[in-house]
Amino acid sequence: MERMIIFCMLFFCSSMALTAAPYKIVKYKQLHKTITLLQNTVKDQDVELLHTPENPVDECLFTAVACFQKGTLKLQPENSKVNSTFNQAITVLKKFTLRDSGKQCESSCESYEKKKPKEFLKSFEKLIQKVIRHTRAEGY
Amino acid sequence: MAVHAAFLASTILLLCGMGPCLAAAHSPSGVECVLFNEEYMTCMWGSRETLTANYSLYYWYENRSPVMECKHYLQDQGVSIGCYFNQSEIIQFQPFRVLINASLGSRTLKFLSKPMELQDLVKPEAPVNLTIRNMSSNQLQLTWTSPYPKAQCLEHAVKYKSNKDTNWMEHQVKGDIFSFPSVDYEKYYTFYVRSKINSYCGRTQLWSEWSVPVVWGSNSTSKGSSHGHPRRAIDVPTPLLWRCAGQGSMSPQLFPGTAEEQLHWFWIHTVLIPIASCLLLLVLVVLLVRMERVWVILMPRIPNPSKNFDELFITHNGNFQEWAGVPKDVVESFRPNYSENICYVSELPPKDSCEPLWESGNYSPSVMPGTPAAPCEHSPYKNSYVGL
Repeated sequence: MERMIIFCMLFFCSSMALTAAPYKIVKYKQLHKTITLLQNTVKDQDVELLHTPENPVDECLFTAVACFQKGTLKLQPENSKVNSTFNQAITVLKKFTLRDSGKQCESSCESYEKKKPKEFLKSFEKLIQKVIRHTRAEGY
Repeated sequence: MAVHAAFLASTILLLCGMGPCLAAAHSPSGVECVLFNEEYMTCMWGSRETLTANYSLYYWYENRSPVMECKHYLQDQGVSIGCYFNQSEIIQFQPFRVLINASLGSRTLKFLSKPMELQDLVKPEAPVNLTIRNMSSNQLQLTWTSPYPKAQCLEHAVKYKSNKDTNWMEHQVKGDIFSFPSVDYEKYYTFYVRSKINSYCGRTQLWSEWSVPVVWGSNSTSKGSSHGHPRRAIDVPTPLLWRCAGQGSMSPQLFPGTAEEQLHWFWIHTVLIPIASCLLLLVLVVLLVRMERVWVILMPRIPNPSKNFDELFITHNGNFQEWAGVPKDVVESFRPNYSENICYVSELPPKDSCEPLWESGNYSPSVMPGTPAAPCEHSPYKNSYVGL
């Protein structure tokens, strides 16, 4: 009985694997939308400055994304009205992961200059644009 | 003195004349760089009418490369008005700066540009292969392909007009297909398409040129016809939905055809196949549970031989001979009908050539002639018996 069920499960899973496409581009596009949304709801004055990677090289993309994610935790909403949108956006940003290419990156997060939140988010947007640009249609 | 004054005045006038001339030569707008379809780039700083000086361009990428001079100047009647960069000299997502030296005579003016982000200056090429298909219920479908390699980065705009309209209608389109809802077969339509990099890949406002037009309908003067390619020749017109979901191991080139066919195919793969396999699994489980025969074939019983020996253990109480059916006289014959006494056996001593004294005196042994007879004092035979 167990054998039969296991065999059928394998068959079912393999058919699902065919249809499950890498939705990478859709994920990245959603992230880009979230960052754009966040740019309008984040507080820019009297806040802590954040380390902002600028134009990282390909080897440092993963480190840069991790750095941006660390920085987003320190962002604050502009006012209480945009709280829910802001929180939703932050959750999306926290969940995002980029595949680690494994190459060595020479710069750490702290080596980058500190900037205001809106500049920080603009650089993050640029990074995601670069990622989308370089994603092939079949995936990453 | 007058000569001096005149000379001074003329020098001043000359310098003043040259000043604005030089300043005007430095066209007010600065440098404009455009990347054409990410294949080459041109940076122009003016046109022949405004420039009269000698120009040279130096460029570099901030923190990334040393200062380099332009290798290929674009000239207009002997004056450099721009620089041509080929694909290997272009790096996107790095700040790019340009320095222009304008020299006229002995004076040199330098102009330093702001840092430019080249990914925001991409101008894709106009779409090609515009095709119109006639769908059912008076609907037209316009499709095209773009020479720009990354289709996920483009958004398009369609402009159309019939021969009876005065204004152009413009629509923004995200995918590679435009559906025109209600077509009037009396009118003659013309369609144009152009593309732009969308906000997911850059922050540009540069649209491409309008494509070559495609027409549909009948004219009063000429019999217009759609520039219809046969269905199979369309190269990757896919709606965004299909591109989102169907990119696993299937490349779109395997499925030439219209967007409708591909949408159909997408539904089959993401919905129908999982549901079908779920149902199959369910059916199999139900079959297994309900049909004992199938169960027994798949999962045969482990044979239990104890049933065959029930008789032996229960009926005959472990008596193997009874159960085996051995006849009674054979059984009896094996049983002994006598009794045995225990018999002691001991060893005989060797003979010492002496005559033993016979106690029982049953018979006197004959004396063999020639053998000396000697009495045995002790005979071990006294107290032992041999016999049955």
